[in-house]
Amino acid sequence: MRVVRMRAVRLILGSVAVVSLVGGCADDEQAVTTVLRVANWGGAQVESEFMRLERTIWEEFETTHPGVRVQVEQIPGRGQYAPKLLMMHVAGSVPDVIQLDASSAAVFIDNGVLLDLAPFVERDQKQKEFDLGNYFVKVLDVARRGDAIYTIPLDFTPMVMYYNKKLFDEAGVAYPQPGWSWDDFLETAGKLTVFPEGTRSPTRYGMFFENVMPFWVLWLWTNGGDVLSPDGKRASGYFDGPKSVEALEFLVDLMTKQRVVPHPRESSAAGVDLFRSGRAAMDLKGHWKMIDYGADGMDFGVVGLPTNGVERVTVVYASGLSVARRAKHPELAWGYIKHMTSFGVQVRRVASGLAISGNKAAAAHFAGTPVEDAFLEEVQYARPPWGATVERYPFIEELGREMMEDILYSDGELSVEEALRQTAKLIDAALAEP
Amino acid sequence: MAALRANNWRGYLFVAPATLYLALFAFFPMVFAGYMSLHRWHLLKEDHPFVGLANFTTILADPFFRNAIYNTLIYVAFSVPLGVVTSLAVAALVAQRLRGVGVFRTLYYIPAIGSKVAISMVWIWILLPEVGLINASLKWLGGEGTTNFLAEPGWAMAALVAMSLGIGLGPRMIIFLAGIQSVPQTYYEAAALDGCTAWKRFRHVTLPLLAPTTLFVVITTTIASFQLFTEVYMMTRGGPRRTTDVVLYHIYKEAWQKFEVGMASAMSYVLFAMILIVALLQFRIMRRGLGEGATA
Repeated sequence: MRVVRMRAVRLILGSVAVVSLVGGCADDEQAVTTVLRVANWGGAQVESEFMRLERTIWEEFETTHPGVRVQVEQIPGRGQYAPKLLMMHVAGSVPDVIQLDASSAAVFIDNGVLLDLAPFVERDQKQKEFDLGNYFVKVLDVARRGDAIYTIPLDFTPMVMYYNKKLFDEAGVAYPQPGWSWDDFLETAGKLTVFPEGTRSPTRYGMFFENVMPFWVLWLWTNGGDVLSPDGKRASGYFDGPKSVEALEFLVDLMTKQRVVPHPRESSAAGVDLFRSGRAAMDLKGHWKMIDYGADGMDFGVVGLPTNGVERVTVVYASGLSVARRAKHPELAWGYIKHMTSFGVQVRRVASGLAISGNKAAAAHFAGTPVEDAFLEEVQYARPPWGATVERYPFIEELGREMMEDILYSDGELSVEEALRQTAKLIDAALAEP
Repeated sequence: MAALRANNWRGYLFVAPATLYLALFAFFPMVFAGYMSLHRWHLLKEDHPFVGLANFTTILADPFFRNAIYNTLIYVAFSVPLGVVTSLAVAALVAQRLRGVGVFRTLYYIPAIGSKVAISMVWIWILLPEVGLINASLKWLGGEGTTNFLAEPGWAMAALVAMSLGIGLGPRMIIFLAGIQSVPQTYYEAAALDGCTAWKRFRHVTLPLLAPTTLFVVITTTIASFQLFTEVYMMTRGGPRRTTDVVLYHIYKEAWQKFEVGMASAMSYVLFAMILIVALLQFRIMRRGLGEGATA
């Protein structure tokens, strides 16, 4: 009996202590009356310094909005972000603010998951509190449908060609210049490849390659080919059209015939990023890679993509902030978006090298270095990704990845033309399903 | 009798939590999935027209779904017998009264307590060409050591089967061990007096008496094998060339990349039917074996 009573006393004492602790907090700060839920895809892979900065930025918002707490819900993981958020939308528990990747934006925009921000924009522009003109039109347009606006740009990147200056200097090869052609590229890559006699594969490659369709789709575009028809409704005649076939044959030959680009068999054997480790001289990537290369102290340059008889072209991979249609606090969410996309916040947020700010003034703040200027120069040539307008596009990208794997591991048995023809049919079928 | 019946409500009370849990999180979703499988059901679209069995006819005619069924059956056909035999062998070994045998029992069980995601990551490293444990060992032994197991059709499935032996070993071994230890010592003594060798004792005493345990292990292993997903998702994503695209992974893609949850539900029902049929078959065959074991 005595033991039981003792336990009860301890329990009561314990809870009193807890209550007073909580009370203490509430006294120090403002009592939290509203929780603003924000979803993004950050995770453990984001460097801690950037996380600290993000927290500071959220705290600033909390300070200017007494009683509000920003609750960030991070959903990391390959391909899980969109499904999870869509499920939350269906279940009615979707966060107020959704960070949106342009590459998978269509499924959100075209299914009524997001709120049209145009009324907020119009109202605040009248009151001179907000100006849509502050943002890159190219990026803004990615998530527009007529007059409706679904995201305000956070940051973005065109895809470019990185090159390792040290390897170019060693090989005595001139740095690539904007407006270069595929022929120039092939010649450059050939000169940079080191393939000693008696070895089975090169010890250094002209360019790195990863089987990620958002990366290699640019080879189609720079040859005047494409995945889908302009209306985004079918792939036959486009993905298996002569320009696309020629483009992928060129790319595959780089690996299998010219041997200036590593076959995935060779690169996975190394188990590392061959460009980053100095075993490949070029790589087709976006701005985010600068974080790693900067940390490594690599001396690199950046140039637009080589083209084959067409206008210069690249893609704009962007992220923006949206308000969920089922948000509990839409007005507050809009305020948060204005805060996050403002010059003051953006200037600090993109300083890490993550991307180009969607806010023009903040982007201009970093201009003036050759690398940054090369990135900014590409913006005018950038097209939105298909995923911004075609709901099934992430699935199509998976089909593309599988197709590339089929081609590369069939060792010539499956021709590029045949693979593209088969996959175009699969894409058509996927797009035709209601 | 009256007293017994009066006490019944207590019994129902005791089973209530488990029943409720099952009803809410197992039976209701199952029934609802059945309902969805008869409709054209996109996760985000408002209307869900009734389509009868159209989803089923579509998927059964789909070469990729049939490929997924084929891959799943291949995986089951290899991972179940190999998994059961290896775990039985290991259980028989760690059942020996040897000093330090507890250490081995623990060691063999360890893979079972790890997260499958973490184990998959470890196996990715083990299977890497050149630098992976297997290839590096092959190289050391004079081989080439360049096989990219997860990227070569054929090898990828073999790798998944090999991996399943390690992951599933612990739980199966524990069950077999319990079964072996529950065999009365007197039988062994009698067999020894009759001049039976160790192998014969195992073959004619342990194995028949272990039949119910074996049935249980075979069926649970089969069900688990049909539900292969994590390793595929982490390591191969159905590749290379769709040779490891198993049914559950296929369902995942249908539901979460295409958002066709009606179609995905139909696929789930096909998987359910496959598991049910195979489990029933095993039950029948092994029960016949059980009867023999008891009379032998």
